[in-house]
Amino acid sequence: MGMLSLTIVLPLAGALLLAFLPEAGDRSVKQIALVASLAALVTSLVLLVQFDVADPNLQQAETWVWIPAIGAQLSLAVDGVSLVLILLTTFLTPLILLASWSSITDRVRGYAAAFLVLEAAVIGVFAATDLLLFYIFFEFTIIPMYLIIGIWGGAGRKYAAVKFFLYTLFGGLLMLVAIIYLYTQTPGGSFAYADVLALELGVTEQRWLFAGFALAFAVKVPLFPVHTWLPDAHTEAPTGGSVFLAGVLLKMGTFGLLRYALPIFPDATVEFAPWLLGLSVVGILYGAIVALMQADIKKLIAYSSVSHMGFVVLGTFALNATATSASVVQMVNHGLSTGALFLLIGFLYERRHTRQISAFGGLAKRVPVMAGLWLLVSMSSLALPGLNGFVGEFPILLGTFQTNRTAAVLASFGVVLAALYLLWAYQRIFHGPLVGADNENTTDLKAREVGILAPILVLIVGIGLYPQPLFDLVEPSVDRVLTEVGVEPLDIEPIAATSEES
Amino acid sequence: MILAQTADLPGDLVIPDVAWSSFAPELLVTAMALVLLLVAVAKGRELLVTVPSALIGLGVGTWLVTEGLVVPGGVTIALGIALPALGFAFPRRSSMVQAWGAGLALAGALVLTGWQYVAVLNVGGDTLATILPQSALAGALANDGIAFFTRITVYLSTLLVIPLGYGYLQDRRINRAEVEPLLLLSAVGMVALATANDLITLFIALEVFSLALYVLAGLARRDPRSQEASLKYFVMGSVASAILLYGMALLYVATGSLSLPVIGAELGALGALRTVSAFGLALVTVGIGFKVALVPFHFWTPDVYQGSPSNITAFMAAATKAAGFAALLRLYLVAFPNLQTLWVPVLSVLAAITMLYGAYLALVQRDLKRMLAYSSITHAGYATIGVVAVSNAGLSGTLWYLLTYAVGTLGAFGCIVAIERTRRGEVTLVDLRGLGKTSPATAGILALCLLSLAGLPPTAGFVGKLVVFQAGIESGLTWLVVIGVLSSVIAAFFYLRIAGVMFLEDADPTRPLPSASTGLSTSIAIAATLVVFLGVQPQLLLQLADTAAALVR
Repeated sequence: MGMLSLTIVLPLAGALLLAFLPEAGDRSVKQIALVASLAALVTSLVLLVQFDVADPNLQQAETWVWIPAIGAQLSLAVDGVSLVLILLTTFLTPLILLASWSSITDRVRGYAAAFLVLEAAVIGVFAATDLLLFYIFFEFTIIPMYLIIGIWGGAGRKYAAVKFFLYTLFGGLLMLVAIIYLYTQTPGGSFAYADVLALELGVTEQRWLFAGFALAFAVKVPLFPVHTWLPDAHTEAPTGGSVFLAGVLLKMGTFGLLRYALPIFPDATVEFAPWLLGLSVVGILYGAIVALMQADIKKLIAYSSVSHMGFVVLGTFALNATATSASVVQMVNHGLSTGALFLLIGFLYERRHTRQISAFGGLAKRVPVMAGLWLLVSMSSLALPGLNGFVGEFPILLGTFQTNRTAAVLASFGVVLAALYLLWAYQRIFHGPLVGADNENTTDLKAREVGILAPILVLIVGIGLYPQPLFDLVEPSVDRVLTEVGVEPLDIEPIAATSEES
Repeated sequence: MILAQTADLPGDLVIPDVAWSSFAPELLVTAMALVLLLVAVAKGRELLVTVPSALIGLGVGTWLVTEGLVVPGGVTIALGIALPALGFAFPRRSSMVQAWGAGLALAGALVLTGWQYVAVLNVGGDTLATILPQSALAGALANDGIAFFTRITVYLSTLLVIPLGYGYLQDRRINRAEVEPLLLLSAVGMVALATANDLITLFIALEVFSLALYVLAGLARRDPRSQEASLKYFVMGSVASAILLYGMALLYVATGSLSLPVIGAELGALGALRTVSAFGLALVTVGIGFKVALVPFHFWTPDVYQGSPSNITAFMAAATKAAGFAALLRLYLVAFPNLQTLWVPVLSVLAAITMLYGAYLALVQRDLKRMLAYSSITHAGYATIGVVAVSNAGLSGTLWYLLTYAVGTLGAFGCIVAIERTRRGEVTLVDLRGLGKTSPATAGILALCLLSLAGLPPTAGFVGKLVVFQAGIESGLTWLVVIGVLSSVIAAFFYLRIAGVMFLEDADPTRPLPSASTGLSTSIAIAATLVVFLGVQPQLLLQLADTAAALVR
């Protein structure tokens, strides 16, 4: 068993241990869950050490016979893109678990088990190189997330959970039809990624199949106009659920686009790219404008996710080495900064039990540490140079400008609007007069909470100052995908370009 | 497409070999049913029945072993010994003897099915091939893949139903002596339907199991709903049988034969009587459509499923569907392949309507059994995709789908039985509130089985849908598969609602907790294990379904 499968098996083993451990106290439950998720982090770091950065192909492949009757295998492998996302997953999960212990008191065992299962499934999504296996992991993530939202969520959790479930299930099932169709086209019937990639598909076929895949991924991203589940899910999910959703689950959509939709259907990709660019621009602007009008801070960040993930899709379909690599980097950045924002909101909510922005005011005087960190994370999210958001969004816009000027120009307004809604929210919560006993008595972050945020903050600043290793990791794989689509990799060093201009 | 047994054409004056071994499992089960009936009649003098039948069993078994049939002989001897042993183990509790006897007979039948399977697969040069021909009774029975796989599904379902319903029947004081024998006989009838290779055998088999089910549905004599279910099932079923018979008569007129392979061949060569055969086909479709509950011939299902005792409903849902589809597969793929242009579009449209309409109606149900009834209608639609694919993949897909559906639905009904045992009247959504907290095991397994019915990975139901969808797309029926997908989303909604009520709502402390007897929990646990096992490691049985398909065509 290699490191990759171990990274999937360890959280699963933790979840099984939790499920079958009779009458474990909450304390030992927390320890087991944390150890399992940390173990996965360790193996994924080993994976990183073993990874050959120069090789653009899928590496460290592991294959087992599974269902030869229908040509499905258990096969796993990573390239730079999936490795980065696996690392993001294993990095965020222990933090999420730690952050949840103070707020989750009911059925802790189930909560921890659900997260571990979810982690395993998401890693599986990033690692699978068999389309059926990928689909199974992809759909399976719905069940634990449904439970996390539905059991431990807020007041409207049932509606949000069902909406989340049905939306993503619907998208996924159409993808299943497309996957089966691809299977029937492969000689001898195979679900293997390499075999599917080798297919020569007609243009009409590609259009339909691309639509099937793109819809599934668009729902996950979520792309305008199939984004409406996200605000509900985000708002009602418990803090940990929101962080995981924003941090990792949404990335499954953009990852899927890059790994499957683009290289398997190159002609359809080129044909539909302008449409998807258009939808992402609409999403960027729409998400930002709607975010401006939100009274609920969690809903605000949820809509900001729609806007930010729009940038990722924009970069992906700009079909340009600069923009597409940067969109992968932006996936990580969005995971970190939005994840951190949701953690902060969670901490604030634990103190005040409200998420209405109007309930707060002048908090900076009482909670200076929280205010400072909030500002830092907001800056990262609105792409301030020197922080991680910038090194993602700027090259996306730069690259898109080279292929589609209009889209890039319109999307740039999204950055402006992001500054507006994030800073305005910050101002309304933390500045102004300190009114009311509730605001007076709000306590600042504890050392434990700062400790949970610290690793994310280190990465936010670290990637902002020195993003090159991250780009080095993803660029070869992105170039490979773009070569499949038929776009020649450009010899532009995105970071060189950005550092000159910043 | 024509079976190997076309050699046994009527008119050959050779007296054919009966080939008992080709229906060995059925013989065993029938014999046990008769013995159990006698045990029920014996009233306190069970030994008078069990000892002689044990002696007969030992004698027959020994003879079989000396003849070289080790496995059937061994099974017969084991059952022979088991009978009096059960009598001693459960003195004065004939219901326990009956349940165990029936269970052991079914387990034996499963073993024999496996033996037959191996024997037939070893056809090349193995001596067993001569013992076990692919047809029996002058071609009236076919011993092929459809038969083998349906045997597995039907016997397994019946085996799970017996412990599942034991405690339930006792609670309601309807644990009458005829329950187990009737279950066994109806299982035999279902398998006979799956093996039937001529129209008469097919019709008789259909009536055998239907009659047993009419009685079983009305088991709760003091419950008016059960009576209604029984009567409704009887009336509707009889009408369906009559229509089917009429269709068969027309087919006979058109082809001059009752044997399905001959009909298949004749229909190909037909010129003038095409209209008659088309009418025959239409009437047969209606008749079989009734039995497997395709929309618009489904309307008996909800009332019958709701009114019958829950364990009988589980049996009907799991086993009857498998048998009905076995007959459907054989009729359409063996007898009507030459009329493909007629029936493929019709059945495709029926499948599409069935999937959508069943799912849509299930949405508005509050009663769990009714909801599962509509869900069973939807599942009939999915299974039909494999039939209209007209391919080996479709055939094995449908067979496999029915098995995955059977385990999922048995598990779900098992949980409903557990809930129903501690309360009177029907189980509605409200009864499930907060079950995830008060009774996590029942709720968890019910949710698992529902997820399987909804077709989510990694459960058996997912692999079931996967293979039928595969077959459908391979045969160019992508539109039908897309409709299947849409209906899956609708279906997921109501399965999910049940899960949601259990896990996301608060418990009502006044409601009694579900209670599972040992037998019930064993069945539920086995069903749940199978749901996961077939979902994660389907290779073994999927391969079996594939070989089964290859054996037919």
